[in-house]
Amino acid sequence: MATTGTMHLQRISTSLAVLLALFSLLNSAKCDEQVPLILWTSEGVSTSTQAPPAAGHIVEQQQLSSYLEKALNEGAKNVVLFLQDKMSIEDFTMYGGAFGNKQDSVYPNLEVALMSSSSRLVLPAVSWPASNAVIGQLQDQLETSPLYMDPETLSQLRLNASSSALLVFRLPYGIGADLMSAKEILSGNDEVIGQVMSIMKSQSVPYTAIYTALRPSREAASLSMEAGQGGGRSLLQYRGGYRDRERERERQRKVKERPGVYGPVEFKEGDETCILLWAKSLSVKILRSGTWEDHDLTPSTFGEGVSPKLHGSSCDKTKARLVLNYENVLGHRSFKLMFAMSQRHYKVSARRWFTLDAVELEYDGTKATFNGSRHIYAPAEYSYRCESVTNFRWPLLTPRTSKDPSNQWRVSFEDFQIQGFNVSSSEFSYASDCAGFFSPGIWMGLITSLLMVLVLTYGLHMIMQLRTMDRFDDPKGPAISVPQTE
Amino acid sequence: MNGHAILYTGVTLAFWSTILIVGICYTIFDLGFRFDVAWFLTETSPFMWASLGIGLAISLSVVGAAWGIYITGSSIIGGGVKAPRIKTKNLVSIIFCEAVAIYGIIMAIVISNMAEVSSEHLLLIMIQKKRYSMFGAGLTVGFSNLFCGICVGIVGSGAALADAQNASLFVKILIVEIFGSAIGLFGVIVAILQTSKVKMGD
Repeated sequence: MATTGTMHLQRISTSLAVLLALFSLLNSAKCDEQVPLILWTSEGVSTSTQAPPAAGHIVEQQQLSSYLEKALNEGAKNVVLFLQDKMSIEDFTMYGGAFGNKQDSVYPNLEVALMSSSSRLVLPAVSWPASNAVIGQLQDQLETSPLYMDPETLSQLRLNASSSALLVFRLPYGIGADLMSAKEILSGNDEVIGQVMSIMKSQSVPYTAIYTALRPSREAASLSMEAGQGGGRSLLQYRGGYRDRERERERQRKVKERPGVYGPVEFKEGDETCILLWAKSLSVKILRSGTWEDHDLTPSTFGEGVSPKLHGSSCDKTKARLVLNYENVLGHRSFKLMFAMSQRHYKVSARRWFTLDAVELEYDGTKATFNGSRHIYAPAEYSYRCESVTNFRWPLLTPRTSKDPSNQWRVSFEDFQIQGFNVSSSEFSYASDCAGFFSPGIWMGLITSLLMVLVLTYGLHMIMQLRTMDRFDDPKGPAISVPQTE
Repeated sequence: MNGHAILYTGVTLAFWSTILIVGICYTIFDLGFRFDVAWFLTETSPFMWASLGIGLAISLSVVGAAWGIYITGSSIIGGGVKAPRIKTKNLVSIIFCEAVAIYGIIMAIVISNMAEVSSEHLLLIMIQKKRYSMFGAGLTVGFSNLFCGICVGIVGSGAALADAQNASLFVKILIVEIFGSAIGLFGVIVAILQTSKVKMGD
């Protein structure tokens, strides 16, 4: 009886909870969108500063009209309204130099205007559909009709301090375009604000300026009708929408702007790319009279728009040779860096592999050769990638002989990736990394531990099968007595 | 099933299932080429192999000797209760077992003398031959001494008990023991051959 009662109760409470959730979501759907509003008066107009709203408070229509009323009653009758198509507080966070990077801010003129104004009011969150009524409210309070203008027409207008005027400047905002242009647009809007401010200053008419928008530029991510009605979404569901697209575009833009990302060095045989090489950095050092002199070859080999000279490179089905030609490296007029690769079929693994046979430095007729085939190899269909390819630090390249001039050199590649065969569409194939899952050290530890565990197991087994002798036990007989005295 | 059987079956099952799952993963992702025994054999430090060889040489020989002495010793002491005259003569069996441990330690010292850091480090082929020879030599001498020790022990135990019954039997059984001891010697000879090849190849 009790269980059915509690279950009934549970069912009622869950349905109530769902209803409440739906209501709250629907309610919040109405006022989940906010638009900021910034109001400032010109210098010389003294008004009592209004208390800004508490942080996080969303200003409703009533409150907004009371703010505006107060500002206009005490302030100037000339109102300059900058009405942007879309604006959210996130625009200020993203482009306003809010993270200590004031030089990147797109609002310098706005900031100057706010700083120099005698009173200002910043409402970061005015509930959205209510904020559309700003023009209407201003119209009512000033009892004039709005004049839509731009800076050129403003300079021709004569303003009067006693009569009220409502000057509206429509400012655009990017519509779903990529982020680059949004920044430019905001910057352009700020220019317009600056121009208007300077014109108003030159006319020396007291004014009140308001900067707001018609609608928010960012959707709240949780706001979508499906969420309210469907009863919920799974945690891992992709939340499509403006915010995510923005984030993705931001990330891609950052990737393009980051200095470390550029295409590989490509050698084309005819029309098709044959050899690909990429590295984060490439440097060579030579030992001359006891000191190491180094030269960084990265800027002349890799980078956006850098194309090194590849004369002498060749590739065919079994051999590939990439030659990078430089000039004036460490005092040598001509300096060549050559990668010699070869591929063939290996019977035991029944697979084609390619190896980087040699890395050669040729300068002034001398040739320094490093062998790389011991460590630098990969299946022929894949590319080879390694975090660090050097001949001195965990060396993968070794001098060919002990007398070779390569003993005087130190070559170092960072984040090295190479592919000499089976290149398709100038992109690297799957990268076979030089680092495996277990390092040799781990394997060694595992093998020796295994051996010792085996020994331990065997010993344990022997000890555990020792039994006390019970052949002559006689539980019914007399107990053995050991006399103390001899 | 008793406790031992459960433990061993559990461990074997875990081991083989790990191997199976790893193998399946390699196959599914077409990364079979990364399973590279040659890489393991060449990339691991030669000192691991050398040290394993030395360790196995001495420890396995000592295990064999100890086991042999334990078996013979208990028989001699047991038989000596009723026939005390066997004590001195049967110490020969113990000495045969001990010889096995001596072979082990000699080989361990010989092998460890080769495991020095040399400038030949650069000549990689040398290292391959050397490390595996050392490991192989250690393994050879270790295992042959292990079984030799056990063999001599069991024969020696029989010899002691037979001697307790009938004194003339001892010398006959000693011959069997000598044959048993020879196999330990074979192991030592082969191990020396393995390691000497490396020295001469230098």
